This record gives sequence, C-alpha cells and structure tokens, in this order.
Amino acid sequence: MRNIFTPLLVMAALPALAQTQVVNGRVTGTDGSPVPGATIVERGTTNGVTSNADGGFSLSVKPGSTLVISSVGFAAQTIPVSGRSRFDVVLQNSTTDLAEAVVVGYGTQTKADLTGSVAQLTSKDVGDQPVQSFEQSIQGKAAGVFIENSSGKLGQGIRVRVRGVSSISGSSQPLYVVDGVPVVADNLSSTTAATNPIADINPNDIESISVLKDASSSAIYGSRATNGVVLITTKRGKAGGTRFNVGIQGGFNEPTHKRDFLNSQEYVMLLTEALVNRGTTFAVPANIATRLSGYAGGVADPLTYDTNWQDQVLQRAGFQQYDLNASGGTEKTRFYFSGQYSKQKGIIVSNQYERIASRFNLDHQATDRLSFGLNLTATRSVNNRLPNDNAFSTPMQIVALAPITPLIDPRSGQVSGALDPTTGLPNTGFPFYYNPLLSIQGGSYVTTVYRLLGNVYAQLKLTKGLIFRSELGTDVLNQNEEQYLGRVTSRNTGNTNGYGFNTNQTNAKVIVNNYFSYKNTFAENHSLELTLGTSYESARISGNSVTGTQFASDSYRTLDNAAQITAGSSFTTSYALVSYFARAAYAFQGKYLVGGSARLDGSSRFGAERRYGIFPAGSIGWLISEEDFLKGNTTLSLLKVRASLGKTGNQNFGNFASRNLFAGNAGYAGTPGQRPYQLGNDVLGWESTVQYDAGLEYGLFNNRISGEVDIYRKNTTGLLLSQPVPGTSGFSVRNANVGSLRNQGLELTLTTRNFVGDFTWTTSVNASVNQNKILDLAGPDILGSFLNRAQAGQPLGEFIGPEYAGVDPANGNALYYLNSTNADGTLNRGTTTNINLATNVPIGNPNPRWTGGITNTFTYKGFDLTATLIGVFGNQIYDGAAPFFSVGFNNGYDNQTRDQLNRWQKPGDITNVPKAIYGGGNGTGQSSRFVQNGDYGRLRSVVLGYNLPSSLAKRGFLQSARLFVQGYNLLTFTKYTGWDPEVSTDYTTGTNNTTSNNISQGISFYTAPQARTYTVGLNLGF
Amino acid sequence: MKKIVPGLLTAVLLLGGLESCNNKLNVQPVSYIDTAQAFNNSSDVQAALVGCYTGLQSANLYGGYLQFMTDLLADNGDESFVGTFTQPQEAQRKALLITNSQISATWLSAYDVINRTNNVLANINKLDTPAQQASGEGEAKFIRSLVYFDLVRAYGKAWNDGTPASNPGVPLVLAPTLTVTAESNVSRNTVAEVYTQIITDLTTAEAKLITGGGLNSFSATRYACAALLARVYLQQGNYPAAAAAANRAVSTTSLALNGFYGANFGYTTANVSTSSIPAGLTTNANTVEDIFAIQVTAQSGTNQLNTFYARNRRADVTIQPQFLTLFEAGDSRALLYTTPTATTPAYTRKYDALYGNIKLMRVDEMLLTRAEANFRAGTTTGATPLADVNAIRARAGLPALTTVTLAAILKERRIELAFEGFRLGDIKRNMESTADPLTNATIAWNANRLVFPIPFREINANPNLVQNAGY
Repeated sequence: MRNIFTPLLVMAALPALAQTQVVNGRVTGTDGSPVPGATIVERGTTNGVTSNADGGFSLSVKPGSTLVISSVGFAAQTIPVSGRSRFDVVLQNSTTDLAEAVVVGYGTQTKADLTGSVAQLTSKDVGDQPVQSFEQSIQGKAAGVFIENSSGKLGQGIRVRVRGVSSISGSSQPLYVVDGVPVVADNLSSTTAATNPIADINPNDIESISVLKDASSSAIYGSRATNGVVLITTKRGKAGGTRFNVGIQGGFNEPTHKRDFLNSQEYVMLLTEALVNRGTTFAVPANIATRLSGYAGGVADPLTYDTNWQDQVLQRAGFQQYDLNASGGTEKTRFYFSGQYSKQKGIIVSNQYERIASRFNLDHQATDRLSFGLNLTATRSVNNRLPNDNAFSTPMQIVALAPITPLIDPRSGQVSGALDPTTGLPNTGFPFYYNPLLSIQGGSYVTTVYRLLGNVYAQLKLTKGLIFRSELGTDVLNQNEEQYLGRVTSRNTGNTNGYGFNTNQTNAKVIVNNYFSYKNTFAENHSLELTLGTSYESARISGNSVTGTQFASDSYRTLDNAAQITAGSSFTTSYALVSYFARAAYAFQGKYLVGGSARLDGSSRFGAERRYGIFPAGSIGWLISEEDFLKGNTTLSLLKVRASLGKTGNQNFGNFASRNLFAGNAGYAGTPGQRPYQLGNDVLGWESTVQYDAGLEYGLFNNRISGEVDIYRKNTTGLLLSQPVPGTSGFSVRNANVGSLRNQGLELTLTTRNFVGDFTWTTSVNASVNQNKILDLAGPDILGSFLNRAQAGQPLGEFIGPEYAGVDPANGNALYYLNSTNADGTLNRGTTTNINLATNVPIGNPNPRWTGGITNTFTYKGFDLTATLIGVFGNQIYDGAAPFFSVGFNNGYDNQTRDQLNRWQKPGDITNVPKAIYGGGNGTGQSSRFVQNGDYGRLRSVVLGYNLPSSLAKRGFLQSARLFVQGYNLLTFTKYTGWDPEVSTDYTTGTNNTTSNNISQGISFYTAPQARTYTVGLNLGF
Repeated sequence: MKKIVPGLLTAVLLLGGLESCNNKLNVQPVSYIDTAQAFNNSSDVQAALVGCYTGLQSANLYGGYLQFMTDLLADNGDESFVGTFTQPQEAQRKALLITNSQISATWLSAYDVINRTNNVLANINKLDTPAQQASGEGEAKFIRSLVYFDLVRAYGKAWNDGTPASNPGVPLVLAPTLTVTAESNVSRNTVAEVYTQIITDLTTAEAKLITGGGLNSFSATRYACAALLARVYLQQGNYPAAAAAANRAVSTTSLALNGFYGANFGYTTANVSTSSIPAGLTTNANTVEDIFAIQVTAQSGTNQLNTFYARNRRADVTIQPQFLTLFEAGDSRALLYTTPTATTPAYTRKYDALYGNIKLMRVDEMLLTRAEANFRAGTTTGATPLADVNAIRARAGLPALTTVTLAAILKERRIELAFEGFRLGDIKRNMESTADPLTNATIAWNANRLVFPIPFREINANPNLVQNAGY
C-alpha cells in the first residue's frame, strides 16, 4: 500500500516546487546490503521518493529542510539537509519506528499518528516456515492474538481469536483482508473437520500483516470487525534491476508425542481382572481364554503378538518446498511475480498437503494523475485428508485395538480385518473394531482447491492531497472433494461393493470499493487525513454432491461407474453487503492526535426490520515525547498515550438466519415432502461490541528498550444467539439478539536490544491476558459437546459437570461429589456413586488465562539465530476419549492407557482409578475425572541461518545467499498426559454449527498430536 | 472544476448507492422457502404430510433407535450389546444418564414429527376434496398418536404403575409452532391425558381413513389405526377393546400371514439355509403381513437396526443362549438367528437387508394381541385364542397346541416379536422383571431405572418440565 501511495505523493508535490536543490544518496543496512523501497521524505511535506533496488535515491528538496528516511523493520533516521547533496544512510534494525507506515483499513497511517491498537508482523515472521498457513507462524508473536491449530492433520481449520471470543453463535474468526479485498474464509469441508481457505495464500508472498484489534482501528470494517481484522499486504515490485529469489527447503515431520497404552501382557492381565470382576459367564476361565484367543487372531496363546497400533498410524514423513520469485521494474511499471511448490506429508499415514501457488502483482503509473495495477494469486492445493476425529476409520482410533491382535492376520496373511478367513468375505467381527488401516489401504479422500483471488485498482489524483481510488476485487474458491472406499472397508460403510462420494463447491464473491482519501498539512502544524467511500460485496456459495455404491471393481472409483446412486444434492446460498465508510485523523504539531471513523453497513443477513447498522469509533493520542520537555531525551526516548472507544459488529452467521423457513428435503422413498426448517426473527441483527482501549507506547535509552501496553474491555450485547428452545416446539433452537458477554484484558509487548554492533541480541516478549465472561443469556444455558457449556457468570465453554471425588477405598467404586445445597444453605460435599445425582458445577475453563511468546534473535557477522518460545497457561482440556480408553475396561474391550494399571484392586487401596469391571460403567460418566490442566510452553521455532557475505556471493553472480536450518515445535513443556496440549477436536469445533465451534473448546478426542519439523533451506538472490 | 469533480463523484456514489442498495440487500433463499409460502395449495399440504412419514423414518425414531434402546433397557440377558457407543451401553446397564445424547435426540425427533403433523392438521382444509381431507386428517393423527404412544411409554411411568391420572406423562402439543413464546414452556400432561388424546385421535383417524383411504401407497390405513389402538388398549389392560381393535386390524382379505416367518425379513425358505447373507436381500416390498412399515431405500432413510444388528455391519449385538433356548425343536423362526460356535456368538438375521424397510406393525402381532386380549377377557372376538396361537405356531412349523395358557401366548409373542422394540412395553404391562447385567440383581417392572429420563437439554431449555423420579 505504502508503495502505491508514495509515487502519487511525489506527484502531488511537484507543482509546489520553488527554490529547490537535488539530493541523492544510497540507503543500506548495517551489513552493507542495499535497502530497496526505503521511503525518503522531506519532513513536514508529502514530498518524497522510495529507494531503488540498489538503495539509491534522488529527490528535490528545499535547502533548509530535513530528510526522514524510513523502511519497514529499520529505525527511521532524520537528517538535516544543511546544504549537503550526497547522503549515504545506514539504517539500524528496529522494531519500533514512528515513521513506519502501518497498513490500516482503506489506507495507511504512520506509526506516530496511529491512535488505535494494531499488531504488526512482517515477512520475516511468516516466511520460510514449514507450515501450511501463515497463522501457524504468528502464534506467540502478536499480543492479543490467540492461535490454535486443532491437530496435527494438515490443512485443517485454525482457530484465530483476537482479544477473546466475542460471540457464542456467530463465527469468531477475524475478517481477513488481502490487498484491500475481504477474502473467503468460510469452511467448505463436507466433513465436520474444517478446511482452511487461508492456506491458499502463500506465506512467502506476504509483505506485512496488520491485526486491527481495537475499535478505532477496526470499526471502519463495521459489522464484521468485532473479531478483529487481519490485513495482509503482499509483496510488490520496486523500481530497479530485476531481482530473482530462489528458495529451497526440505526436511521431515514427526509427532510431538505418543501416548502410552497397555502392551499385550498388561492388556491380558487387566482385561482378565476386569472380566473376573464382571462375574457371571464373563469370569469363566474357558470363556476368557476363548475371548482372548478370538482377539489374538485365533492363536491359543494370547501373548503371541504385541502390536503397537499407534506406531502403525503415526510416522516420520517428508516436507519439501520450492519458491521462485522475480521483482523489479521501472519508475512507471513495477512487478512482483512468484511461484511456489510445497509438499508436506503428514505425521499420520496417508495425510498429505500439496500446494502450487503463483502471484502476479503489477503497478503502473499511466500519467501524472492516473495509476492502476493488479494483485492476483492463483493457487491449487491438493489435500489427502483424513476422516474427522469421531470416525471409526480415522487413523488415531486404531489405539482402541487390542495389542494382542496381530497386525497381519496369520490366517489370511493380510492386515487384520481385511478378510474373514472363514468365509473369504470382507471382515466380520475381527478385530473387534473396524481397523482404520483398511481405510488407508482401500480408501482415499482427496480435496482439491482451485483459488483465484485478486483485484484491479485504479487511482486518480484529483487535487493536491486528494486521491480517488477504485478497487474491483474477486475471490473464487472451488473445492472438490472426492472419496472412494473400496470393498475392504465394507465393515465401516456397509457391504455395498464400494462407496464413492464427490462434491464440488464454489464460493465466489465480488467486492467493489470506491473511496476518496485526502491528506494534507496546513500551516505546518495541522495535518489532516480523510477517507470517505463506499463498498459493495456480494457472495454466493453453490455446490452439489453425488454419492454412489455398487462398483464393478475397486479399480473403478468415479461415480459414472456406480450402479446405484444413493444420494445427490445441490444448493445455493448468498448474501450482499452495502457499506459506507468514513475516517478522519487530525494531528496538531504531530503530537496531539484525534481520530474518528464510522461505517454504515446494510446486510441481507439482517432481518427485514433491521437492515442497517452504524458503527462509529473515536480515538485520541498524545505523543508526549514530542513535547519540548522530553524532546531529545534519550532516556525516555518515546512516550505516547492513546485511548479509543468504538462500536463494532459481528454478522458472521447464516445467510438466512432471520427467516421463517420450510425445507423441501423431506421426501419419503421417492415421494416429495416438505418440513418446517427454521424459526425466524424479523428484528435479527448484528451483535454489537463496544470496546474501550487505552494504550501506552514507550521507548527507553534511545529505544534500546521499547514496547506497548494496552488495556481493553469489549462489551458485547445483543448476542446473535442460537438459543435452545423447548424441543416440544418441534425446534431445538431459534436465533435472537439477546444476552451479553465481556472480554477484558491486558497486552504487553517489550523489545530490548541487548547487544548492538557486530554481535546483536534482540529480545521480543509479548504477553496477553484475556478474561472472558458471559454476563447474561436471557434464557437457558447453551450446552456444547461433552461438558462444555455457555452459562451466565462463567467463561464461554466452561466445563460444567459432575465433580469426581475419587475412588471408594472400600469397594473401588467411582464417587462424585453431590455438591447439592443442604437445608441450612451449606454445600453438601457428600459423595454418591450415582453420577446423575451429582450437581453440575464448573470444573474447568478451556480459555487460556494468558498466552505469550518470547523471541530471541542473535546475529553475528553473517550468522543469525532466532528462537521463539510460546506459552499458553491457565486452561483446561477435556479428554473426551478417556471414557473409552482410560476407564479400566469399564466401557468394553478397547485398549487402555497405562495409567489404568493404578486401578483399585482390593479394599483399602487408595487410588484415583476405579475398580476395573468389564463393561461395568464404573467411573465412565463424563466428569471432572477427565479434565486436565492444559498449560504448556513450547519451543515453537528455532532458525539458524548463515548469510554469505555479499562480496563472496557476488563472485557467484549472486546478490545474496542464505543457508538455514530450522526446527519447529522442537520441545514441549507440559504436564498434560494426552497427545498434545495444543488441541481442539475437529468434529466439535470445525463444523458448520458455529455455536458448537465456539462453545466446544478444549476437547481432545483421538486428536492427532502436532508435528515436530526439522528442515534445511537455501535462499539465493540474483 | 477541480473541486466540482470529486463533489459530483461523491454525490453519485453515495446517492446512487442508496437508491439501489435496498434492492441489492433483498437476497432470497434458494434452497428453502419462506414459511408463509409453504401452504399455498393442496399439494403443499400433501407434501407436508409426506414430511411426517419422513420424520418417522428418522434413525432416532422408527429408523431404529427407539426399538433398539427400549429393547436394551428391558433386556434381561436375551441379547448383549458389545459395541463401543456409550448410549446403548447405558441402556443395557439400565443406568441411563440424563445427558444420554440418544435419549435427547429421540425426544427432539419425536416432537419434530408432532410439529409436522400439527402443521398438516392446521392446514387440512386446503386439501382439495373431502376425501383427501379425511385421509390427511386420519394419517396425520395416526402419526401423531404413534409418536405420543411411544413417548409416553418411554418417558413416563407405565399405565399400570400407580395412578395414570396423576403420573407425569409427556407434554401434549397439538398446534403448530410458528413462534416460540413463554407459552412454549409447556408442562408435562399426565399419563392418562396423553392416552386419552391418543385414543381420541386414533378413533377419529380410523373413521376418517375408512372414508378417505390414504393419499399414498405407504400411507397408514384404517387397519394401521386399529392395530395401534390394539397396542394402546393392550398396554392399558383394556382387553375387550384390545381384542376388538386387533380384530378390526386384520379384518380384511388383503392382510394375512406370510407362509414363511423369514419373509418378513427378506428371507425365503431356500436362501435362509445359506450361512452367508444372500446378495440382493431386500425387505423393500411390503408383504401381505405388513399393516404398517417404515419405508427405507438406498436414497431415503436409514435402517439403524441393520447398522447395529447385522453381522456384516457393526455386529454390535450378540444373541445370548438364554434366548436361543426358548425355541422348540423345528421352529423355523430359529432360522433367523445364526448358530453360535466356540469363537463366534449368535446374531439375529432380522435386519440383514441393507436399506430394508422396517416392519412396524404386522398381522402376527395382531393375532397374538387378539389371542392374549381374548384370553384375558374370556372372549373370542374374531377367533379363539387357541386358533390364533396355533396360526402363529403352524406358520413356524410347530405342532398345534390343544389347550392354550397365558404363558404360552406370551412365549410365542416373545419369540415372534423379539428385538423389534416390544420388550419394554410387554414386561411393564405383564409386570415381569428384568436384571442388572452387572450384578444380576432383579429389577422390578416398575423400577425408575426402566423409564427414560427427561433429557437434560430439555430440562435446561424448559424450566416447567419436571424430571422423572430416580434421575
């Protein structure tokens, strides 16, 4: 954005030239390499240029003026011209730079003038990381932005929460805007495991990311701003020679952690004990022997095999990525072209993510007044996916199989379950569950996405400082999912001679932005910026699917070969948004700052009686360090206070949530039928959030120590609530704007440059505290999955259920606290074995109390080392699969975790693990027994790089050369005993039911651990 | 000039936008229609009536879970659920949790169907002809009664347990829901009130369907109404009425017993002898024995009983020796069970047909009901109890009895209708007992554990609902 504006500003200044002199020079970094694209501005004016590819610049200025030289990632320098004409400027690396341009909604502002809370990240934070999507790279790097990758499956949905969750039934994901165009972020997955449309953006194309957090910065996005706005700006060409960059990276992934399950000996011992405890015919030794032999593939000795099933589905797998980009151009025409091929194999067998991405960014200056350009990305991704966590066929559910079951059935010579050796037909009853390896052997699920995202713009300078810009953007996402399940999988899907499924969905949107921006300085002291415009957005999702069975053989996998079509559908849904927006920013003497913005949004999603919402915001700031009494003070080199207040909305809910609807999908065996579908609400509208923010920006000792502190409160009212209604109405929910919740918190960032010079050491720390509390639901509690609940007075998603009281030493029964109220009003802490009698009480909070990260960067000569440590603290995790595999066979024969060996065995035993009774249900009810602390610290990434000295590189005709090794998720520090504390099972949080997604946090359910990745890479510039 | 251009542009953009934007915001749903457009004419009402049958077909209701969960709750060792799902396990242990998601899903699906029938009944006058109106009313009331009868039996105390006039049943909702208000927080009607409503509706429905005759080939008939009335009266112990209704249910030449019992489940005497599941096995055509069946096809509905019981599907339910020893030698009904071996338990073959119809009411049930009701009432409405029982036995390939006892009738009933969702109602009205599978302790027919809890989600949503005793 900055680079688009600057040349225009130059033009604007041209007619004003009077008595001038030409200055020229070169901008370099501390390592001597050129800094292209640095901005050189005559202070107090809009007269400026950018440096070319070699860092060179030339500019006409007034003789007595002062130059301000700035570039992203460097400390700005202010140099009086004082009659000189040659300036060779060495810029120091920096993270705090007041002259830096910050991308904001519909424009840019300088950091100094900013009165809102904006977290900024650059290409350095997201480039060259072994992840599929950029969000994964910024966890722990932006205060107030919580990011959670749901599991180690590739290309899956990622939860991004800016300043907490502000909605219960609407989506809580931020609005993503790429080069000015709000992009498609809807999950189009046809399973309950979400896919991530943001992964179509090549992280290596990203120049900068601004996360708009407070109302003053985000309210210009109106009814979509409550969850924060993530503005992504892609790389652009700079005038000068054409530069090529090649990146090659390769490595491998492995699971962060495996869980301990019983081995054969332990399984036989504990299962036998559980069967004996069950009694009756179960305890008869001959029956036990028969059962064990049946599980063990028919052999007499059940200890013949000892299969570690987990090892059969978790693997070490490769990662490779190749990047090539070219950028450059002339003063009139600049370009950035890039291409990427990336292929990552998953830590879970058969999982793979492959992406080919290309980008074309072009800017052209047609006349003094008119410029236009293009941003375009085309991506294809192919994701070999896995079933959701709650499917028998998902690889992780293999841990349920008995270790005494052989991997290869000795009777058939094939994978256990592939064939029934007695009938020769596919699998009946052996092993005791469907073996997920069969779906890997005989099935496939491939999701292919084609994405075209881009916009064209034209920009016209009307008068001095006044620019009109028009943007026409489009985003088309086509997702195809193709599944085939062969005969060998029939136990899971029915004996249908193969099963095929194919769906195509297209999510297409068109956006038109037209706006004026005006920037001027009056009488030296008064600078004013105005933005005024309109936006129209229309989006349509349409799709179809076909399901068929009866294939001639497993070689035929497409649905034209299916003899029976068992299901087919098509659908279309759409919305439109019409908006008007305005912003004004005024600064007096560059130190007293006032800003205001407003947006009027009309949305087709809103009820007929409530079509338009207005979202205003205001802010003030005071740059104290510009006052005379502090100016030039090196101890307190920067001090700025700011405050903002504004209203934002959330309309991230179903397109027709306000309508009373009937559906025609109630046909009966070929006869058409219809049914009531949804209760409507004509006054349904946006959720309103009023956000207060106060911030302090500081710099000490010439900004060797710098940072920001923000404190905020977000009050959300008129929640778009999918309220439970009595089922006796024939409906289970209705949508209404009722209830309220609050997020409040504190964000701290601190950057210290510990060493400067040849050896540099910089430390960046950020920490955020967020408290979420539901104030009022104006109705019943909303139940999520497992024990998650929305309940007034509690944080969203709080686990509310029976409190486990341990094991009765006398008989090994699981006990629960009654937690009822005695007649005298006191709490009854008596216990019961009947979990139905235990009062549901808060037993855990899935929301982290605080999150943060520390990044240390060391450089010495050509070497650099960056290490990021992240932390998530104060949250609990509910192990939803524990009632199956951590209950001492009380739910059946599933293999158990090794901690079950601590079970109660005889009267007097003191333990937390109840008596093992086969199928006994002793302690299997959902309770605090399965809640654990989810605190963790993790060494997220370590990168060690070596940059060839440019003199050496040039000998090889290279501009630059960099070799690096990196590790991702290298170490995890946690007491959590499950697979991985960064967890959120896909089938409760990745669904199209946003109420469930928001409430059902912090659940692990056979959820795959995260990947630990090691890579080696090489970047060459020439 | 310079100042006019931007001014004009602004004006055009802002005003031009305002004018057209209301139109742009008027986006209509495509896959759905406004409720106001749902009942424009006669065929709309007919489609809504079809939607009621589709509701019955739900896996949560007669698609299988209702029969399956109540059978497990009643079972005393005839079958064993060996799967991993906790919901059926809780039912088998007779230790249902109030959060059991299936108990909640069945409740929601049941009232969804009730609301569908209420929509049809509220628009019944839009049907074109009096005959259509009679059919529509009869069918909708039959469907509503069927669902209420199973709701009140599952979620309320048995009719013969204490005082039905004061025992809480389930809320009676008899009008369509167009909006949710405070009045939607309904209270539970008594067991007696629910039964009264059912009998009133079914009596009307039977009469209307004599006039109307049903709108579709799968429609409930006057015989289905009579059959359901027979069930209701039998559950109440009103034996003369039960015998009369059962007699009406079979009083047509279009209904009769199949020659082979297995024909109700897709088998023939020829293919039942093969041990594997015959290719192309189907129950998709109703037989002469079917009074009312849930239609399932590859494209419509789910047969959840196939999913759980069939040995080539989940094989989650094994049939125990206790049940298999009930068969007399030569009973052809035993062919519907696989023979256990040392390593393989027995499975039922009743649900082997993938996408099979689910036979909800059959002639054999009515003969056994007529026999039992006549026997208990000391009457011979339609036929003697001995003749009815012997008809069942003859069809099973068993010798005729010379005298009949209540125990003999009930034994035939237990075998004939096993694993089809009859056990819970039968042990309650016969005041039998069941057993805790963990402790073998006897559980009386009227134990609180044998009543479903009111789902926790429902108590949470509606403060006026009172939980059942014992939960």
